[in-house]
Amino acid sequence: MAPTIPMEEYKFNIDNGYLEGLVRGFKNGILSRNDYLNLVQCETLEDLKLHLQSTDYGNFLANEPGPLVVSTIDDKLREKLVVEFQHIRHHAVEPLSTFLDFITYGYMIDNIILLITGTLHQRPIGELISKCHPLGSFEQMEAIHVASNPAELYNAVLVDTPLAPFFVDCVTEQDLDELNVEVIRNTLYKAYLEAFYTFCEKLGGSNAEIMCEILAFEADRRAFIITINSFGTELTKDDRAKLYPRCGRLYPDGLSMLARADDYEQVRAVAEYYAMYAPLFEGAGNNPGEKTLEDKFFEYEVNLNKNAFMQQFHFGVFYSYLRLKEQECRNVVWIAECVAQRHRAKIDNYIPIF
Amino acid sequence: MGSLFRSEEMTLCQLFLQSEASYACVSELGELGLVQFRDLNPDVNAFQRKFVNEVRRCDEMERKLRFLQKEIEKDEIPVLDTGENPDAPQPREMIDMEATFEKLENELREVNNNAEALKKNFLELTELKHILRKTQVFFDEREGGVDEVMSKNLLPPEIGAGGQLGFVAGVIARERLPAFERMLWRACRGNVFLRTAEIETPLEDPSTGDEVHKCVFIIFFQGEQLKSRVKKICEGFRATLYPCPETPAERREMALGVMTRIEDLNTVLGQTTDHRHRVLVAAAKNIRNWFTKVRKIKAIYHTLNLFNLDVTQKCLIAEAWIPVADMETIHLALRRGTERSGSSVPPILNRMDTKEEPPTYNRTNKFTGAFQNLVDAYGVAAYREVNPAPYTIITFPFLFAVMFGDCGHGLIMALFGAWMVIKEKPLQAQKSKNEIWTMFFGGRYIILLMGLFSIYTGLIYNDVFSKSFNIFGSSFKVNYGDEMILTHKQLQLNPTTRDYYGTPYPFGIDPVWQVSSNKISYLNSYKMKSSIIFGVCQMLFGVILSTWNHRFFNKPLNIWAEFIPQVIFLTFLFGYLVILVFVKWIAYDASTAGCAPRVEFQSKFYGGTGHPFVPFSFDAILDQSYTED
Repeated sequence: MAPTIPMEEYKFNIDNGYLEGLVRGFKNGILSRNDYLNLVQCETLEDLKLHLQSTDYGNFLANEPGPLVVSTIDDKLREKLVVEFQHIRHHAVEPLSTFLDFITYGYMIDNIILLITGTLHQRPIGELISKCHPLGSFEQMEAIHVASNPAELYNAVLVDTPLAPFFVDCVTEQDLDELNVEVIRNTLYKAYLEAFYTFCEKLGGSNAEIMCEILAFEADRRAFIITINSFGTELTKDDRAKLYPRCGRLYPDGLSMLARADDYEQVRAVAEYYAMYAPLFEGAGNNPGEKTLEDKFFEYEVNLNKNAFMQQFHFGVFYSYLRLKEQECRNVVWIAECVAQRHRAKIDNYIPIF
Repeated sequence: MGSLFRSEEMTLCQLFLQSEASYACVSELGELGLVQFRDLNPDVNAFQRKFVNEVRRCDEMERKLRFLQKEIEKDEIPVLDTGENPDAPQPREMIDMEATFEKLENELREVNNNAEALKKNFLELTELKHILRKTQVFFDEREGGVDEVMSKNLLPPEIGAGGQLGFVAGVIARERLPAFERMLWRACRGNVFLRTAEIETPLEDPSTGDEVHKCVFIIFFQGEQLKSRVKKICEGFRATLYPCPETPAERREMALGVMTRIEDLNTVLGQTTDHRHRVLVAAAKNIRNWFTKVRKIKAIYHTLNLFNLDVTQKCLIAEAWIPVADMETIHLALRRGTERSGSSVPPILNRMDTKEEPPTYNRTNKFTGAFQNLVDAYGVAAYREVNPAPYTIITFPFLFAVMFGDCGHGLIMALFGAWMVIKEKPLQAQKSKNEIWTMFFGGRYIILLMGLFSIYTGLIYNDVFSKSFNIFGSSFKVNYGDEMILTHKQLQLNPTTRDYYGTPYPFGIDPVWQVSSNKISYLNSYKMKSSIIFGVCQMLFGVILSTWNHRFFNKPLNIWAEFIPQVIFLTFLFGYLVILVFVKWIAYDASTAGCAPRVEFQSKFYGGTGHPFVPFSFDAILDQSYTED
């Protein structure tokens, strides 16, 4: 009997070889340190556009009339990413298609919350729709403002979408207001993350290895951020504990400790127990010259995503490519804002990728 | 020797141009196409170069032209290609061009906006017209058979008896209808009644110009709360609602009003599109020229960005590789440029000494260019090395023909090549973007030659669409009687007997081989041997060519240490093989064919006349019985 040969890797290229090759090609076009060094030397947004012409972005801003503004750059960067993702999604078959759909659910959750919040503030639906992320659009999106409480939202709008199973936990009769909307967002996201984690675990092999690590970090990061952001709000500790995703390394002990934490120092003490999170809290602060905790989390995430490309024949490359490209968009927009406002003090606060 | 034998002699030159004259001089050099500039500012960012503003202005002009071209294509106006090649305009003309483009763009955008507003209006009126027509049916049902309608759906009867039903009417895109219906059902808990009817003709979307299929719907409900909910859902699904009057008389009146407004709008819309068409037709006449001009300006400024600006800001310094033979032409071009710009100081062209390896330049025309490309695909020859291209012109198509060897297909290929060559000019003017076609068209001379040679080798192999010609009569004769022929499937014709006339078929392979069963083994042997002969000859020729290189570069050691051993190895091994092949062909005829020696290569290395040692061994016997199982 031959030694155990993992069967998925032999059959991966039949359905997914072209798409993995495509994504690796896209990954090679991600801006390098050199590109960022050139971008921070730009004096105007036109210089930025000229430099981006020599990268993989090419002439994406060529047909924009009038003086350039940062929001146009942001839209166009995102549009390119959306086109690439949708091309990949259209060519994908099971199980990659389910995997890619799972990725879009995260954006759908963000869109729903954006629409609900916007409706609460009486914004016209047309304005809100244009702010939604195109990867997370679904048919019933525009009719969200019909609902006035979560039960209605579920029964009328969400029950036909793929997000229905995640909504089971938060169907209540309370009215939608500011605090509740955030609670809904985090509850939805927790259910989504746990479902995604289970799906990746079932895929097995290097898929599980890589994706579960990334998703575990995502879960732990959310737990930390929820805890820190909930200090000084009306959210009780029990409610807070219900929002922690359970698929990370902090489950169960770390999560119970976080549930009892009262201030930033206690959160930091919890992180000390975990070797990979302790260095993120060290040296993080809001003083100038220090990196904020968010930035450190982003850096760690970028590292995890880069490592995904070290192995072949798994779906993690698609997820990682999307996240790295988003980080790149954030970087370019940050630099563009600093350039446009001529406030170059913090222009180097981007997170280099390659 | 001729210019194709070896690559051209190149020299590195330094060019001093006065700032005013630089634009015109670079323009002249661009038209000439004989100079390769070097980048003297390699570590400067793209946006920090000197002429970056002018390049940006060109980009902006190109953007406007692309916008114009897209609009022209949308209206399907044919763009005239006169084949003109206008020179790059002067820098001051650039401002005029920018103003023209700006005006055109603004005008077009204004016209487009107006047209869009009118089309939106038109769409609304059309939808209203359809609503008024279709809802007639719904209202008839409601008024006529109230009870049947009520019992058909799930509305409890007491509501129908209680109050009047309110309604909204509107139009929605067909693909959204199922989700819309489902959402209405869920949100209103089934307390509304929806009727739909399709609009048969597709309507034009005002902003994109696409045709969309839509449906008319009407929703009946009771109560204000349901009304607001229904309205919100309609807004969410981008269904447009229209006020629909209740009584048939009012509806008829409204329909008439809508018809007249539609007609008026049609006329105005027609006039707007006519105006837009006129503007675009005027622009289409010049757009090719404009594109060429703008691209030339941009190219000139890109090249100027490569130059070094002298400290005193008076002149630009450039370094370029130029062919020595063209020095005079370049001097003339520079002088023309200086005169055109009205500058007094003539440009200076200095030859520089350098240890760098110059680029390889082979002057080709449209015929030799294709073969040069073929050779360059394998590797560009070193500077002043012997160029293999002129020999490739014949050997490549000939060796292809040796492999192809079919007269009929070769004829088709030659005709195809000849058509492409004869119709060269009109085919080139089409500027097709199809990759496969450009590949074939670029190699038209190669295809023509391959076809002609294939006809020749096809005649030699006597193969026309896999059949043979019998022009001269076969040299083999069938001497068997009829009963022999009828009863035996295969008969042998022996060349040592009367079956063979004694003289071979004059030109090509005897047609009798076409019907013989050992045709393949005979032809294989023949083709293989002739291929080896051709191959060895070509290799020997290539090795001899290298001697010219060694003599030109003055490296006698290469001749002794490389060329002589190569020739010895080649001729003594493969050359000997070729000689043996010829000897076997010449010295042996049909009667002595039985004892002809084998032309073997391996016997040079070992004799091969022994027999193996087969011991009595249980291992061997057991292995054998396993393989038998």
